[in-house]
Amino acid sequence: MTPGLLGNLALAFGFVFTALGLALAGFAWWAKDGRYVEAAKRAALFSLLAALLAFGALEWALLTDDFSIVYTVKNHSTKSPLWVKFATLWAALEGSILLWATFQALYTFLAARRMRDYWMAPAALGTLFGIQLFFFGVMLFVANPFTPVPNPPADGPGPNPLLQNHWMMAVHPVLMYLGFVGMSVPFAYAVAAMLARRYQSWVATTRWWTLVAFGFLTAAIFAGGWWSYEVLGWGGYWGWDPVENASFIPWLLLAAFLHTAMVQERRGFFKTWNFAYITLAFSATVFGTFLTRSGVIQSVHAFVEGAVGPVFLGFLLLVLAVGFGLLSRVAGEVRDVGGMGLLSREGLLLGGSLVFATMAFVVVLGTLFPLIVEATTGDKVSVGAPFFNTAFAPLGAALLLLMGAGPLVPWGRVDAYAARALAVMASALVLGAAASLFLGATFGVALGVGLFCYNLASVYYQAAKGARVWRAKAGGALAGLLAYLVRARRQAGAQLVHLGVALAALAIVFSQAYRSDVQKTLEVGQSASLAGVEVKLLRLSAFDQGFRFAVEATARVQGAGVLRPQLRYYPTMNSPLAAPAVHYGLYNDDYLILQAFDTEHAQWATLRMVRTPLVLWLWIAGGILLLGVLYIAIPERRRAPAGEGVTA
Amino acid sequence: MRPLLALLLFLSLALAQTPTGEPPPDLSPEVFKIASQLRCPVCQGESAAESNAGVSQEMRRQIAEMLKEGKSEEAIRDYFVQRYGEWILYAPPRRGVNWLLWLAPAIGLGLLGLGLWRYLAEARRREAELALGEEELRALEHRLEEE
Amino acid sequence: MRRLFYLLIVAVLGGLFWWGLHRNPGELKSVLIGRPAPDFELPLLPPYRQAWGERFRLADHLGKTPIVLNFWASWCYPACYQEAPVLQAAWEAYRDRVLFFGVNNQDKTEAALKFIDRFGLTFPQGYDPRGKVGIDYGMYGVPETFFIDRKGKVRYRHAGAIDAATLKAKLAEVLR
Repeated sequence: MTPGLLGNLALAFGFVFTALGLALAGFAWWAKDGRYVEAAKRAALFSLLAALLAFGALEWALLTDDFSIVYTVKNHSTKSPLWVKFATLWAALEGSILLWATFQALYTFLAARRMRDYWMAPAALGTLFGIQLFFFGVMLFVANPFTPVPNPPADGPGPNPLLQNHWMMAVHPVLMYLGFVGMSVPFAYAVAAMLARRYQSWVATTRWWTLVAFGFLTAAIFAGGWWSYEVLGWGGYWGWDPVENASFIPWLLLAAFLHTAMVQERRGFFKTWNFAYITLAFSATVFGTFLTRSGVIQSVHAFVEGAVGPVFLGFLLLVLAVGFGLLSRVAGEVRDVGGMGLLSREGLLLGGSLVFATMAFVVVLGTLFPLIVEATTGDKVSVGAPFFNTAFAPLGAALLLLMGAGPLVPWGRVDAYAARALAVMASALVLGAAASLFLGATFGVALGVGLFCYNLASVYYQAAKGARVWRAKAGGALAGLLAYLVRARRQAGAQLVHLGVALAALAIVFSQAYRSDVQKTLEVGQSASLAGVEVKLLRLSAFDQGFRFAVEATARVQGAGVLRPQLRYYPTMNSPLAAPAVHYGLYNDDYLILQAFDTEHAQWATLRMVRTPLVLWLWIAGGILLLGVLYIAIPERRRAPAGEGVTA
Repeated sequence: MRPLLALLLFLSLALAQTPTGEPPPDLSPEVFKIASQLRCPVCQGESAAESNAGVSQEMRRQIAEMLKEGKSEEAIRDYFVQRYGEWILYAPPRRGVNWLLWLAPAIGLGLLGLGLWRYLAEARRREAELALGEEELRALEHRLEEE
Repeated sequence: MRRLFYLLIVAVLGGLFWWGLHRNPGELKSVLIGRPAPDFELPLLPPYRQAWGERFRLADHLGKTPIVLNFWASWCYPACYQEAPVLQAAWEAYRDRVLFFGVNNQDKTEAALKFIDRFGLTFPQGYDPRGKVGIDYGMYGVPETFFIDRKGKVRYRHAGAIDAATLKAKLAEVLR
C-alpha cells in the first residue's frame, strides 16, 4: 500500500458514499420515509471516514517524504521543519480542497446527527451531500493530489515561502475553512426550509450553526490580520486585497443575518430577507473560493490553476441559480403582516443589518469593479485601501451609532429608561469628540473617540439594565449583575461582542490616523532617531537554516529592548522575504523591518521603522469579540437537539 | 562576519537587492503615505508602500526626490499617472463611471432601504386589510407552523 | 418576472467571470501607445562602448529608424532567458533597418555581463541599475518590449517573453 493508492481509494469511497447519501436523501424526500434518512446519516459517517482516510494518506506522504504523488512533488521539501510538512497539506490548491472536503464531511456528519425533523432533514442532508459531492468530484476529476508520478524525484521545492514564514499560516487557513464550510449547514437548512415551505422555525434551528461559522470566520479574519502584520513586513494588518475581501463578505452577510434573524424569531418579520442573507453568505464563500483559485482578479494570495477556475465558476452559478430560484418562490409566497416603528429594538436591529449588507455590497462592488470596468470599457482601474477606507468610514460610524442604541431600546418602542440612557450616551459622544478636537485630533479621530465613549456608556447602561431585571430574582444589585451575566448569556455575550467591535473600531481609527513610517540607513554601532524613537544598530549576522538562509540585524530600540528583524532567502525565490520584529506596547507598537544591508562588508543596514498606536488593542478586541461569540454559542443547558429558540 | 560574506557571495546572483551596492535612500513618513496610494506595478494587490519589489523601491526613491524638489502630493501622483495610467491609483479618480464606485455606499443603502420600505409598507397594508388583532394572528401563525 | 430578474443577475455574473477567466494576461495597454517615446540617456555596458560610445541617448535615434526597446534583467528567469536568443536573431536579420536597444533593469553589472555573454547579444545595451527608464515607460515588470515607429511614436508594448512570430509581425508594422 502506498499513500497514492490509499488516497485514491479513499477519495473514490468518499465520492461513492456521498453520492449514495445524496440518493438516499432524495428517496427520503420523494418517498417521505424516515428510514432513508437514517440510512443517509450512516452514509455521512462513512463519507467522513473516507475523507479522514484521504487526509491521513496525504499526511502520510508528506511526513514520510514520499514523492510518488503529484502533490508532494510540487509542494513538499524534505528540508522543511515538521510543522511545515504537516501544514503543507493546505498550502496549495489540491490539498486545500482535500481539507475543505474533510471539513465538509465533518459538518455533514455532525449536522446529520442533530436532524430529527423528518420533514426538513432529507432536503437539508441532500444539500449538504450535494456540496460534498462537488468537492470529492473536484479532487477525483480535476485536481487530484494523489495522481501518481512515474519517476519520483528525491526532493521538491517545498511550499510557498510566504506560507512557511510564520506558524500562524498553519492555523489561519484551518479556521477560515471551518468558517467557510460551516456556512453550508445554515444554507442547507435554508434550502430545506424553502423546499419544505417552513419559513419560520429554521432560523432558530440554525442559530447555533450560524454562530459557529461566524465564530470561526471572526477568528480567521483576526488571525489573518495578525499574520499579515507579523509577516508581510509593512506594518499593516488589512490590505483590502481581493482574497481578504472574499473572507470579509460572508462575515458581513452573516452579521446582517444574525441581526435580522432575531427579528424573525421574535416577531416573524423578514422571512425572505433571512433566506436571502444566508443564500448570499453561502454563495459568498463559494465566490471567495472561486476568486482565490481562478486568478480572475489578481491578488497576493491566489493560487492560480487552470481547470479549477471554470469548475468553481460553474458551482457558484449553480448555487446562485438554486438559491435565487427558491428565493423568488419564497418571495412570492411569504406574506408577513404587521407594522413596526424604526425607533424600536426591531427597527434598530434592522438598521444594523442594513448597514452590514451595504458594507457587503460595497466590498463586492469594489472587488469586482476593475473587472466590470475592463469588461465594459477596456480600461484598467484599481480599487484598494484608499477607496475602501473612505467608503467604510461613514458606514462604520453609522454602525457604531446603531450598535450602542439597539440593545437598550425595548421591542416595540422607546421607554423612559432607554431615553435617559440615550441622552447620556449622546452627551458622551459629544464630550469625547469635543475633548479630542481640543487636544488636536482630526475630525475623523474625534468622531471615533466620541463613538467609543458613546458605546462605553451603552455597555454600562446595558449591564445596569440587566442587573436591574435580575435583581429581584437574585436579591441585591451585585448578585443581579452576576445573574445577568451568567443566565442571560445571549445578551451578555452580545454585549461582549459589541464591546469588542467598539474597541476594534477605536484601534483601527488610531492606527490608521497616527501611523508613522520611516526608513533610514544606519552604520553598525550608529544610533539615530526613527519616528521619534532612538534606534541603535548593534550588529549584523547570518544563519544557514538548511531550508532557508537568514540575515539578521540586531538593534536596540528605545523603550522596546532589542529587536531582531531578518531578511530570509528561500532557494525558490529570487528576492528575500522580510521577517519584521515587533514590540507590542499598550500605546504604540514598534515594528522594525530590515530593508537592505551591506552585502560586501556588512557595515550598514537599512531599517524601516513603523510606529503605530493601539494595534495591540485590535488583537485584544478580536479576543473579546470571539469570547462573546463563544459565550453565546455554548449551549445553555441540555435541551432538545432540534433547538427551540431560547429568548432570554 | 566571515561566514556571512562567504554565503552572500554564493547567493549574490540570486539577490536583486541594491544592485549598485549603495544603501537605499532614507525615507520620510510622507513618502510612505504617498506610496500607499499607488499600486506596485509588478505585484498582485500590493501598494508601492507595502511591496519590496525593485520597482516599488525605485518609486519610493523617486517620490522622496520629488518631495525634496518641492513637488506637491498631487503633482507626484500625476507623474505616475502619466506613465502608468490611472490604473496606478488605488483610489480611482472621482469622475465618469467611477462615480458608480464612489457612490456605492449610497446606492447600496438606497436600494436596500427602498426594498425595506416597500416590504414594510406591504406588511402594514396587509395588517390593515386583515384587520385582525396581533394575538389572533400569532395564534394562526403558530397553528400553521405546527402542521 | 422576479424569476427572470434573478436569472439575469446569475447570467451577467457568469458572463463577467467567464470573460475574466479567458482574457489574455499578457495584453496590457500602455498609455504611451501613439505618443512620442520618452527620451532617456543611459551609460552603455562596457562591451558596447567601442561601437556606440560611452552613453546612449534615445533622442539621437528617434525619428530616424524604427526602434525596438527591450527591458530585461539577469534575475528574470526564465522569461528573459527565453526571449534573448529570439531578440538576437531578429537583430541580426533586421540590423540595417531597425535599431534594437536593450535596457538592463535593476541588475548587477557582472550578472548582466554574464547574461550578455551567454546569449552573445550584439545589439547595444544600456545599464539602468535604478530602473528609472522602466518607470518612465510605465513598465510592469521585466521583460517588456516596446516598438517605436519611424516617427518616434510608441506603437506597441509586449509584456512577458516575446516570441519570434509576434516580434516579426510587430517589426513589419513599425517598418510599414
